[in-house]
Amino acid sequence: MAKLHAQLEPFVPSSTNAFDKVKAAHLLNRAAWGGTTDEIRKVVEMGPRRAVDWLLDFPDGAADEMSQTDMPDLSQIEGYPRSFNERRSLLQGKTAEERMLLQQQMNQANQQAVRAVSTWWVRRMTKSPYPMHEKLTFFWHGHFTTSARDERSAFAMWRQNELLRTHAAGNFGKFVKAISHDPAMLDYLNNQQNRKAQPNENYARELMELFTLGIGNYGENDVKEAARAFTGWAHDGEDFIYRKYDHDEDEKTFLGRRGNFDGNDVIDIILQQKACAPYIASRFWRFFVNEEPDAAIVQSLGDVLRENDYELRPMLRTLFASKAFYDAKNIGSQIKSPVQLVVSTVRTLEITVPEFARLNGALQQMGQVPLMPPNVKGWPGGRQWINTSTLFVRYNTSLWLAGGEMVTSGRPLIDRRNQRQKLQSGVAVKTDAEPAALVDEWVDRLIQRPIAEDKRGILLNAVGSKPDEQSVRGMIKLILSMPEYQLC
Amino acid sequence: MASNSHTRRAFIHRGLTLVSAAVTVPSFIDSTVWAMADPMDSKRLQQESGADGKILVVVQLSGGNDGLNTVVPFADDTYRRLRPAIGKKAEEVLKLNNYLGLHPNLAPMKSLYDDGMMSIIQGVGYPNPNRSHFRSMDIWHSGIPEKEMVASGWLGRYFDNTCVGQDPHAGVSIGETAPLSMRGEKISPLSFERPENYRYNGQDAEHYKQLNTAAPAASLDPKAAKILTPGSQLEFLTRTAMDAQVSSDKILDLVKNYNTTSEYPRNEFGNGLKTIAAMIRGSLPTRVYYVSLGGFDTHANQMGRHDRLMKELADGVGAFWKDMKEQKNEQRVMMMCFSEFGRRVQQNASQGTDHGAAAPMFLLGPAIAKKAGLIGNHPSLTQLDQGDLMFNIDFRNVYATVLQDWLGTPSKPILGQQFKTMPIITA
Repeated sequence: MAKLHAQLEPFVPSSTNAFDKVKAAHLLNRAAWGGTTDEIRKVVEMGPRRAVDWLLDFPDGAADEMSQTDMPDLSQIEGYPRSFNERRSLLQGKTAEERMLLQQQMNQANQQAVRAVSTWWVRRMTKSPYPMHEKLTFFWHGHFTTSARDERSAFAMWRQNELLRTHAAGNFGKFVKAISHDPAMLDYLNNQQNRKAQPNENYARELMELFTLGIGNYGENDVKEAARAFTGWAHDGEDFIYRKYDHDEDEKTFLGRRGNFDGNDVIDIILQQKACAPYIASRFWRFFVNEEPDAAIVQSLGDVLRENDYELRPMLRTLFASKAFYDAKNIGSQIKSPVQLVVSTVRTLEITVPEFARLNGALQQMGQVPLMPPNVKGWPGGRQWINTSTLFVRYNTSLWLAGGEMVTSGRPLIDRRNQRQKLQSGVAVKTDAEPAALVDEWVDRLIQRPIAEDKRGILLNAVGSKPDEQSVRGMIKLILSMPEYQLC
Repeated sequence: MASNSHTRRAFIHRGLTLVSAAVTVPSFIDSTVWAMADPMDSKRLQQESGADGKILVVVQLSGGNDGLNTVVPFADDTYRRLRPAIGKKAEEVLKLNNYLGLHPNLAPMKSLYDDGMMSIIQGVGYPNPNRSHFRSMDIWHSGIPEKEMVASGWLGRYFDNTCVGQDPHAGVSIGETAPLSMRGEKISPLSFERPENYRYNGQDAEHYKQLNTAAPAASLDPKAAKILTPGSQLEFLTRTAMDAQVSSDKILDLVKNYNTTSEYPRNEFGNGLKTIAAMIRGSLPTRVYYVSLGGFDTHANQMGRHDRLMKELADGVGAFWKDMKEQKNEQRVMMMCFSEFGRRVQQNASQGTDHGAAAPMFLLGPAIAKKAGLIGNHPSLTQLDQGDLMFNIDFRNVYATVLQDWLGTPSKPILGQQFKTMPIITA
């Protein structure tokens, strides 16, 4: 066993460095989608280790296994086939012209279905009793990226999403093999076109560059040879198929090994590479802790992953209980992704959103629609989220969620008929307290860290000397419109 | 409370005197804000607005414009044979010569052409054309067809290379989201669908502004100064928040108070061009404006729809140039018009056209060179690649021409290799 990096040792609370509500909120923000006052209190009581165990205590399965009814709602979409077989039978016996019209209708319906899946997922992030499960699923969506652009099947995207959920905290090795058989992925990265006679290197390259090893840990020839090993891995509609006659059965030389490898062999060899586990650890670190990982720390975290045969839970326990995770420089230093912003606002303010579909436009303007990442690298994140336009959309969307009216920049969030409809936060707003206590309470709930004294003064001015419900709700909206609220 | 403008001015002056104390100032404090903070200060306005600077207006036709029914080879037998239902007839097109004519609804652009203000670049495309809307649009936007993943666009890299100070107005895009082409690694464009929505919607604007300014008080408060560490996330966010406030006020003001006698068509495209004209009039330091006209994916029954789109395009473009002339800004402006691909030569069974490849581009402005009206040869209608026109001119030759001969910047760092420029723009 390699020695654990000192910064990855468990954080042990002390009288001078307690596991307080700032740290508990930090854990809930990063490992999940933020916490309510009650959840933060609960986590403080549990302490870091038990809290991480509690967050990780979810069944490793798909949403529809856990609840047969928790599925995207496609009932509003006219003419959308539920399966590819249905699609096929719809097209049978039609003239070329009829087929083309049907195809166009189905493509349009498919786009609606993709939005329905995306909406379903965002709603699930806000409602799931296992928030960390959805957070991990979201991480993997940005890692094993597949985009529904190019008219990719909504059904296949949903199936992939369930696959990401099933393996989210499971075994990374099994996960890589499963995703390599996934129809949406095979389609997205052109393995569908990868044939012995005409290899397509796209999947083999991204498998190593983005999914497992990182650039610099393999050569161009390894890409070519790995591509040969994946020839014939394809999909027929929603099912994986192995096209025997397209598969190259000859000997390959891959990362210094020789053999008649197929895709699974290539993955096994990749998992044996020294670079693999630290690379995965660094991806976790970037997403959950800090965009600039410390090389020694992620090396050591990678050791934890490898020594546990690529089981993800031990690594996650180490990460979220570590000293480094609770280091002051890592708290409140992450710019919330648009999805994080929306989901955490809904969760912490306990908002009832009648139709999540209305958030699609806002998410698009903020630059992040689930299932629609810009390219195989996923969303760049960090400061890329922020410019003068997206900042207005972020503020205005938060305002709307907190009970404001109307639009974000660009398209109205609410269609004209319902323009007056406001959302109602489920959180009770009390007013029978000192103004300063009210300001502190809400800063505590929403920003979850101390703010500058002068900003506190501005909020005190805003709430007035005799707070009433309206002025307190006004102050809440102001807190949502602060640069500080963009961070977690 | 002091008025907002007073607060901002006070802040700016305080801010500047405290720069050495590492106080957060807007990212473009030493340029635009000066002009904006005091519109009466014309010396600075001139200096910083780039009131003499050159401007590029990009018009994107989204969905794949049917090039063959835009610049029509009406005298070509193959054209007539392959497009019996949707082809434009010799007697209706606006003839450019005895082979080519513009779509009948492009009259305002025909007159720009006749005035030597428009160049038609024929058969523009790129090798191994991609027929997916998304992918092909990405290729036109990134300017790097060879690479699958490019996180920045050609105009974004132009901003990165030349527009220092991260001015948020370097690029302004009218639309829901900023196009990839405008996204740089350092600079991203400002984008909004309607100017009136590029603003804060909350009711308590006064306190919002205070909370989104590194107010003078904050800079004097040691605790606050500690939190706003230079280079920190919070400092970056606060800086952007200030940029947003200042530019929102400015743009809303410019658009609201804009008067012109030019009559723009009352549609989204016309409104977009009018908004751009207002910003040009207001001497924003913007180098590139971007506007789109969508709906060109005419797979079925294309006649009525494509005719309407042509009219929308030409009426908007015509009104814009009339306005530029009236503003006396026309010499500063060049317009570039493109689509992600053209359409198949042969009409399909639904009286529409499917995704194609090469298509014409337009460049417009007084700087169009003499004899640059028609550039290149019309692609052959018989020698096709999978039923599609083959390109004669790589779109990156056009980009290089615009970058070098109009925006005056070397194109190689932006496009990754040196593409030959074409004699279209006079210096």
